[in-house]
Amino acid sequence: MSEEKKQSTATTDMKKLRQERKEYISGARDKMKGQNKIIKALKEALSGDPKTIPELAEIMGMKTDTVLMYVSTLKRYGIIGEGPKDGDYFKYELTK
Amino acid sequence: MKAKRDLQFDAIVIGGGIAGLQSALDLGDQGYTVAVVDKDATIGGKMIRLSKVFPTLDCASCITTPKMSSAAHHENITLFTYCTLNNLDRQTPDKVVAQLIQEARYVDPEKCIGCRKCEYGCPVYVEDDEQGGFNMRKAIYIPFSNAIPQIPLLDVENCSLCGKCAKVCPTDAIRYDMKPEEFSITAKTAVLATGFELSSMEQKPQYGLDRLQNVVSSMQMERLLAPHGPYNRVLRPSDGKEPDSIAYVQCAGSRDESLGIPYCSRVCCMYAIKQAMLLSGALPLADITIYYMDIRAFGKGYEQFYQNAKAMGIEFVKAKVAKITQGENQTAKLRYEDQEGNGGVMEREHDLVILSLGIVPQWDPEGICSVGCGQDGFIKSIMPKIAPTVTNIDGVYTAGVAAGPKDIVDTITEAGAAAMEASNYMKSLA
Ligand SMILES: Cc1cc2nc3c(=O)[nH]c(=O)nc-3n(C[C@H](O)[C@H](O)[C@H](O)COP(=O)(O)OP(=O)(O)OC[C@H]3O[C@@H](n4cnc5c(N)ncnc54)[C@H](O)[C@@H]3O)c2cc1C
Ligand code: SF4
Ligand code: SF4
Repeated sequence: MSEEKKQSTATTDMKKLRQERKEYISGARDKMKGQNKIIKALKEALSGDPKTIPELAEIMGMKTDTVLMYVSTLKRYGIIGEGPKDGDYFKYELTK
Repeated sequence: MKAKRDLQFDAIVIGGGIAGLQSALDLGDQGYTVAVVDKDATIGGKMIRLSKVFPTLDCASCITTPKMSSAAHHENITLFTYCTLNNLDRQTPDKVVAQLIQEARYVDPEKCIGCRKCEYGCPVYVEDDEQGGFNMRKAIYIPFSNAIPQIPLLDVENCSLCGKCAKVCPTDAIRYDMKPEEFSITAKTAVLATGFELSSMEQKPQYGLDRLQNVVSSMQMERLLAPHGPYNRVLRPSDGKEPDSIAYVQCAGSRDESLGIPYCSRVCCMYAIKQAMLLSGALPLADITIYYMDIRAFGKGYEQFYQNAKAMGIEFVKAKVAKITQGENQTAKLRYEDQEGNGGVMEREHDLVILSLGIVPQWDPEGICSVGCGQDGFIKSIMPKIAPTVTNIDGVYTAGVAAGPKDIVDTITEAGAAAMEASNYMKSLA
């Protein structure tokens, strides 16, 4: 098969898959949009000094458990790091 | 569609937890060819997901990973992960046949080098059950850092099909159109080592039906304690506070007729004591309380382990917890009847409460395999006293928690025994 022809079969195959997985795809996109908003807000909230989960939740107007979920996720992927302790809580900061 | 494959081995092991791996290694070392089939995307079962293990407090990953990789690299052992078992039965004295489906990972295992570039590139986050649901993974992911094989799987239901993973993959391994594939394995003998799961957090209305903040299962607690856990330290899931006061509710799913689990799950007393000890090491200032009916320290060195925990200052309260509700400041409030001391109904609040849930079988053979099970659902031995791994099917054996709740020591011993029975069976055919 020529390179060009291969490419065009691949495109039609992807089209077919997109059709088949329509609902999953739109669900995943919605999810991603919501997540990106939270991640952006979280990064903004962390742009200054390191902060604890309750402090971040206060700034972002969100529940503490959701904020912790995002902080620990971004920590796992190397975007957030743990900072100093403040009372019973740890502070978090951006790594880059 | 590809022609259906039929593969031949001397033995097939269903379940790649520590039981299945031990049986496979023992058979493989004797020169038999072994297929290990697991429904999970990785081998290792529960043990690889634990923090440390009683009574030695060895790091679970440090002692499980070598077993997993010995099996993976063994010349006589072949691993089949992410497979569904549709049927397994004996056809003739020298033939057990398993009908299987290789589920689609959407990643070509021959090409993938496990670099995780796809995972880092993927833009969709999904709650990660492997981390107790406390943080998120990506839509394409390797289950955890010491999973075997180190091949990601793509979670189609959460994939936006954006194409990023395929773009960043250096080996062109992503296959968005992969399909599940049927295949079969024919062997002479089989070991069923399908293990257990925990009873549901939602089965007991009195304990909040999994809706209370900071009430977690014992398996979630293993993740919180594990070095590669969701927070890399023990924190209260509701707000990241380092807990001052932690409590265990024993028999939270066992020894309770109303839940259909009248039996003792055997390992809960010991793992609660283990976790309490690990907690008191990690959080030296925290108060740790274990609410128990009676402590069953059944194995070698276990009573001493219990006594050590008491000496470390862990508080043991003989009481059955009647109810858990949400307390002030995100605490969980326990209501219990004190069976010692002054007696009477008491209430106490804790930052974090762990339910020592019951152990129930993970696999129901109904409609898949004619192996007999007891009333409790665990695979039944036809000679429970003198040959506990022997089932009602000739040349088909069972090992580990698939046959009933037990700890790792007993699981490994039983897995060795099952391998010996299987090897004797094969010799008898010759
Ligand atoms: C919270 C907790 C802490 C514990 N801590 C300790 C401890 O410190 N020390 C100790 O000695 N014990 C401990 N235990 C007990 C220990 O986990 C078990 O003894 C041990 O893991 C049992 O191993 P297994 O291989 O029998 O089962 P599992 O680990 O459950 O493995 C079963 C395997 O079979 C696979 N499987 C299931 N069904 C199928 C199917 N239909 N087809 C294909 N594959 C299938 C599963 O995916 C899994 O990989 C603890 C248990 C719990 C719940
Ligand atoms: S195609 Fe799916 S799995 Fe791959 S990066 Fe995009 S969302 Fe993630
Ligand atoms: S990027 Fe490709 S090679 Fe790397 S882990 Fe993902 S699928 Fe495998």
